[in-house]
Amino acid sequence: MNDVPNTAALSCSGISKRFKTIQALDDVSLHVPVGSIFGFLGPNGAGKSTLIRVIAGLISADSGEFDIFGLSSRSGHKVRKHMSTLVDRADFYKNLSAFQNMKILGRLTGHAQDDRIDDLLQLLGLYERRFDQVKTFSQGMKQRLGLAQALLPEPKLLVLDEPTTGLDPQGMHEIRDFILKIADEQNVTIFLSSHLLHEVELICSDIALIFNGKLAAQGPMQSIFNAMEEVTVELEVQDAPATIKFLEQSELVSEITPLANAIGISINYTNIPELIKAMSAQGINLFSISQRNRLENYFLSLMENK
Amino acid sequence: MMIRLIQNELYKIFSLIRSYIGAVLFTIIIPLILWGYGKGTSHIENEISGSVSDMFLIEGSPTNGFTAAYFIMNFFWVHVPFLIALVGGDIFAGEQANGTFRIYATRPISRLSIFISKSLATMIYTLVFVLYFALLTLGLGLVWYGGGDMLVFHDGILILEGWDAARRFVIAYAFTFVNMALVSAIAIFFSSMVRNAVGPVIGTMAVIIFSLMVSTLPLEIFKGIHPYMFTSYFSNWEQAFHDPIPWADLFRGMNLVLANIFLFLGIAYIIFRRKDILS
Repeated sequence: MNDVPNTAALSCSGISKRFKTIQALDDVSLHVPVGSIFGFLGPNGAGKSTLIRVIAGLISADSGEFDIFGLSSRSGHKVRKHMSTLVDRADFYKNLSAFQNMKILGRLTGHAQDDRIDDLLQLLGLYERRFDQVKTFSQGMKQRLGLAQALLPEPKLLVLDEPTTGLDPQGMHEIRDFILKIADEQNVTIFLSSHLLHEVELICSDIALIFNGKLAAQGPMQSIFNAMEEVTVELEVQDAPATIKFLEQSELVSEITPLANAIGISINYTNIPELIKAMSAQGINLFSISQRNRLENYFLSLMENK
Repeated sequence: MMIRLIQNELYKIFSLIRSYIGAVLFTIIIPLILWGYGKGTSHIENEISGSVSDMFLIEGSPTNGFTAAYFIMNFFWVHVPFLIALVGGDIFAGEQANGTFRIYATRPISRLSIFISKSLATMIYTLVFVLYFALLTLGLGLVWYGGGDMLVFHDGILILEGWDAARRFVIAYAFTFVNMALVSAIAIFFSSMVRNAVGPVIGTMAVIIFSLMVSTLPLEIFKGIHPYMFTSYFSNWEQAFHDPIPWADLFRGMNLVLANIFLFLGIAYIIFRRKDILS
């Protein structure tokens, strides 16, 4: 692990884990840059939660090791000195209040000061309910409390495993906003696992993809998109028939799909600006161009190649 | 750090309703037994007084707080383990079942620290439980019926002065605590293996009942292993009221119980240390 640059918040090297007949992780190595919001993607059962549980100390790896801000996993539990986690759904001591739960968890790392707890509950919008028993909380509130407890030890790395699982759209939106807020205001590197591609695309700067326990790709989101040969783009135009006729003659576009209120096209990502110029020169009134599900396209193309 | 961890565990234990079930039960039943004891022993008292009063001068009533506490201890040492196992059985399995280990065990603390803090907190709970039992039986018994000399029927009649009876009760409760600590250790052992708190309680009781059966059956085939069954020593507190106190026997029994405590806790730690937390 000596060749890992010191810009790594988290570096995993050759991590493998087998559960009886299932190879949950197969020689996984990844690198999470300091200051990034890192999306860890994969379908259900791909190995995302297993890797996070290895990092969190909940399960042991069969082989491999990892570093967190320079601390090696060989140092045992001390490796988690700068890290906090929210693994899966946030569960608490239900008969205790939000404040009491925070107090208990804060004592574990010497961060049980009342002021700090109050500040975090305020940040996560739970201050008014701090003395209520957790069993009266909605799942969204529990997830927010989960984020609050994770921030309690002032971590440099925050590891979140499917933080929006089981939430309604409003709850998902709230958690996304909090993650962005935390990353910005608290200067925390965030490692976020999800199978929700749209969610990751909205907030992550870097990504890694895992399939069947093997890492398929990793890097900054933009460079991955730039490397993509083709993307699907939707055009909203005034005169659809004329636009389709123009697109059919264009060498930039490989596939055209007429949609209900738009036209779907497949195009090389780097050719999009040129197409817009050509359409403008042709006098086509373009109201909007949206590149939907870039990540989904990338994800599906990788899956097809597997 | 360890003190903070133990503080956490005690806080969690004493915030659970199940931790008070035994205490509430005893708070109701022991005064009832004491009341019934007073009602039902007046004729025995007359008989005892009549038979020994010619030979000895007995201070106070022979059916006093000491004899009442002794009577209740005889009755309850089989039932207390179940109530203690309710807490010990939940100490690891409860966290697994509730999913709270997913947060608690991810902090930069070793599994050994978590294990020690949970085990010590369970032992402290056990001690508090035994002390409360003592307070109710002996304390309330003395308040209700007063003190005086204590009559013990063992190889004849032994008359203990009040101060001596009190000293022997302290010894008896101390040995009872060690025995109950073993019950807690067995419950912790089962708790480290499973994800629900019911299994460890049933498992603990099954082990105790099985061991009791083996250690009390008067069959030749089992006699050889009686000295090695920990339940053979569960009633050793009674020896505190023998004269002279058979310290060698008492400590031999206690050593075996202590060895069992460390054995069960040791295995429980190995299981817990290697355990993958998947819930």
